[in-house]
Amino acid sequence: MKPNTTIVADARKTRLSPRNRLDWYLLAIVVLISCVAIIPFYLLVLLALKSPIGGLAAIRLMPDFHFVNFITAWQRSALGKAMFNSLVMTAGGVGLLVFLSSMAGYTIARFPGKLNRTIFTILLLCMMIPGIINTVPLYTLLIRLKGINTYWAMICVMAVNAMPFAIFLYSSFIRAMPVSLEESAIIDGCSWFEAFWRITFPLIGPVTSSVVILQGLGMWNNYAQAVFFLQDKAHRNIPLSISLFFQQYGADWPLMAAAAFLGLLPAVAAFLVFQRYFVEGITAGALKG
Amino acid sequence: MHIDTGSWHRYMALPAFLLFSLFFLFPLMQGAVLSFTDWDGFSTPSFIGFQNFVDFLHDARALQDVRTTVLFALGSAPLLNLCGLALALLLNKKFRGKQVVRALLYLPAVISPMIMGSIWYLLLQPKRGLFALLLQRVGVSGQGNWMLSSNLALVIIVLVNVWQYAGMTMVIYLAGLQAIPLEHYEAADIEGASSSQTFRHIVFPQLIPSLKINIITNIIGSLSVFEAILALTDGGPGYDTESLSIYILRMCYGNKTGYSTAVALMLFLIILIPVFISLRFFNKVEER
Repeated sequence: MKPNTTIVADARKTRLSPRNRLDWYLLAIVVLISCVAIIPFYLLVLLALKSPIGGLAAIRLMPDFHFVNFITAWQRSALGKAMFNSLVMTAGGVGLLVFLSSMAGYTIARFPGKLNRTIFTILLLCMMIPGIINTVPLYTLLIRLKGINTYWAMICVMAVNAMPFAIFLYSSFIRAMPVSLEESAIIDGCSWFEAFWRITFPLIGPVTSSVVILQGLGMWNNYAQAVFFLQDKAHRNIPLSISLFFQQYGADWPLMAAAAFLGLLPAVAAFLVFQRYFVEGITAGALKG
Repeated sequence: MHIDTGSWHRYMALPAFLLFSLFFLFPLMQGAVLSFTDWDGFSTPSFIGFQNFVDFLHDARALQDVRTTVLFALGSAPLLNLCGLALALLLNKKFRGKQVVRALLYLPAVISPMIMGSIWYLLLQPKRGLFALLLQRVGVSGQGNWMLSSNLALVIIVLVNVWQYAGMTMVIYLAGLQAIPLEHYEAADIEGASSSQTFRHIVFPQLIPSLKINIITNIIGSLSVFEAILALTDGGPGYDTESLSIYILRMCYGNKTGYSTAVALMLFLIILIPVFISLRFFNKVEER
């Protein structure tokens, strides 16, 4: 029996293999592409670890391991404070976004009355408008609301810019879910509001993680709004701090490289740790959208 | 079944919508109104009709920015999709270390475009930048300063953008590819289809949803490009690589508030037209 099953397995394998086979040229292409992806990062590290001796002309493929650059860059760029600011605003923005959008998506999916349909249509149209278009009027609005250089205004603006997409994602996901669980909770005496938070919300974890990852990353990396609404040193986020550091230390390349490396580290670390969720979140977000 | 639990659960979208109205719809409409005024940000605005839009058509800098923005999008969006699709087809094959390669390719997309642009700015410095040094070592002495040539600068901005986001489009195409049932390939195999035929008749039609998402997000993203240009060239040399979004934002501090909202409205139109055309196109394709 045994040889026979191998043959069957082999036959199945060969039938599928023309597109699965690993050829040498394929390997070469993969290696080449990986190099294109990784070399800039390697050069960045090389530059960030460069000791002042011999200047840049003395750069070798082996790093100098001049780690002092990182300490100096960290101190001079005030990146610690910037990371704290980014964390507060991203967490606040994502929290607000998930809280409001999940509720809105739920209502829109479950009670498609005139009001909810109108709201949904408006949101869909706004999905195509990049937040940049609003900057000037928004700036004057935030001056009047005393929102410049505050966490809350930046949190609201970032959450609002991400809202159409998040609500769209939530509503299309909830629409595909059976309503029976919520109904049985309502028979047991829950209100729809309670039914949503107790029954539905725990079941839509995949959408929530997609929203958290996609939009959270966008908020973490935000520059276009930060550059206008966060002007004082105490509220700057990471991208803003890095760009200002570059303007300030425009001659000290190793120091600039070290600061940029520190600036990209949190996002990269989060990506490496939660890689699976990133890929799942992006595909779920994309294919639903 | 009808159980009365009140009707306020029907209004659970209102908190989100109210916040959205305050920080998005209100500024949007205010901008639309202001675009017909000569408001300078301080004094009382007075209505000047379509004057701002007429000015726009005579504003050499704005027209140059439109050209840059459109050229950037024409270079970036197709290239991103081609690279993303090619990478996805490559990574759809089975080989060891595939997960690692996928992560590597996606990695640049998680980094802030501002920081990534700054890094490339540093690496691409003429003469003493690491790429220039690297090129010198292998015997190519490109001593020309790309930052002084507006065409070359724009090409480099496009390439950096594609380098950063090709992994993003790839992941979306990859998800589309992996949703295709294996049986379809087998059927094509049995029918004796060549690999190009398989791609045209089996793979490509099922990639339409991924294609739609990628094209539309890339149109919106590339036409509102901002950080990459700011970090790499700061719009220079002169205003040659300045995008429309940068121009709008640079007017934010000036006294041309009314005019800048008119320019923002023009950018809105420039984005909306190709998005609508491609949406209609994809809806027609999907109907078939």
